[in-house]
Amino acid sequence: MATNVPALAARHFNLGGKEVYLPNFTLTLLRTPFLPPNYASFIVPLNLNKLDIRDYLFHAYGVKVVSVRSYVQQQRVRQDKPGSRMPAPRRWYRPRSIKKMTVEMDKPFVWPEEPEDFSSWEKERYDAAAKSQEKEQEKYRPDYAAKPTAERKSIAEQAQALLSGKEQWRPQWVDSGAPVEVEQDLPMSRDSRP
Amino acid sequence: MSISSVGRWARSSRSSYILETPPTFLVPSLWKSAPAARNFSTSPSRSLPRDYNRNRGVSAIRGTGPRQPLSVSKEPLPEPVLDSKLRSKVQVDENHGLWGFFNKQRTTLSTPEDEYSHGRSWSVEELRSKSWEDLHSLWWVCVKERNRIATETFERNRLKAGYGDFEASDRDTTVRRTQRAVKHVLTERWYAWEAARKLAKTDEEIDLNSPGQIYLPRDFEEDVPEEEELRDVGSKEPTTTKERRDADKVTV
Repeated sequence: MATNVPALAARHFNLGGKEVYLPNFTLTLLRTPFLPPNYASFIVPLNLNKLDIRDYLFHAYGVKVVSVRSYVQQQRVRQDKPGSRMPAPRRWYRPRSIKKMTVEMDKPFVWPEEPEDFSSWEKERYDAAAKSQEKEQEKYRPDYAAKPTAERKSIAEQAQALLSGKEQWRPQWVDSGAPVEVEQDLPMSRDSRP
Repeated sequence: MSISSVGRWARSSRSSYILETPPTFLVPSLWKSAPAARNFSTSPSRSLPRDYNRNRGVSAIRGTGPRQPLSVSKEPLPEPVLDSKLRSKVQVDENHGLWGFFNKQRTTLSTPEDEYSHGRSWSVEELRSKSWEDLHSLWWVCVKERNRIATETFERNRLKAGYGDFEASDRDTTVRRTQRAVKHVLTERWYAWEAARKLAKTDEEIDLNSPGQIYLPRDFEEDVPEEEELRDVGSKEPTTTKERRDADKVTV
């Protein structure tokens, strides 16, 4: 990649012949506490190779990469594309594979600490919203009707109480006398009619 | 004639050695130099052991210990620290390049407020006046910013931190609009260059194949105004300031 080369003398590898002036991809740095501190892992596009990432990290970030290892992670088969409103059954879809590269650097690097307090991101509200949304989406699942409802237990308890004689059945309807027309004394003029 | 037959012939003729001397061409074969005596023995040589087994003769049953010192010391082994919080912290370089994947405060995540506080993208009109170096460095600023946003988005989803996806994607869109403007300007320049190149092909004064100077202007005669015209113009209009002032006075 022909960019503003920081220090030609400091380069520890031979420059390749592939000139990339305007790279249009993103690298995602991953938190890898299981790796030694002089290792860093990235999610990279599938067409990036080891020489590319060594060149890229040196020229864009000034990171000296000693060695690279690469891994393509195939994704699970899913039903229908992600984001479809009603996922069609048996319309199989496999998301694009994810390529990860782990580089060994000359200097160690440790990620900053994870935040303790998530109030800036409104975590509680976010989780509650996600939970209610999940509950709402359950209604559209095919086995929703077969599942017992939340009131089922309560109904069974009430029935048991009636059968055992603990409670007496009583109609909820209450006799309140003959119907009475209200507001009989209000005058009805022609103009006030709608 | 083989050597053995020559020897046999020499032995058989030893009695009449003086009488019959061998011919001169057989002299080098009959001359005996002292051969290097090689000891032949069926017992193995003492310089090397029987085989290369270093543990030959070492027996646990007979109590014969190892013949070479082992790398074992009496010091107790260090115990591994399983709790990561108790371990000594790694000194990270302040100027490490991977800090470029983080925000200015160098925290794991930016708050949605910080993420949303950004301006608009660069417009094409603003970028048209910029040089290639400016555009190129702006592109790389955009690339690094997108890397940071991708890293934080992944980390936010991993931690299930909460809201912030919208703000990050909004910022990402702004950055990508700037990148689109950069490419727009460069494409415009390329078309301008291409049009100029095509024009230069038809222009007679430009030779694109010449090794040296490309633009070779021809000698042209300047349009010399005729003397009569000059005279007329001079008579009609005032040329100097004084004359102009006089003319103004007349009109006033």
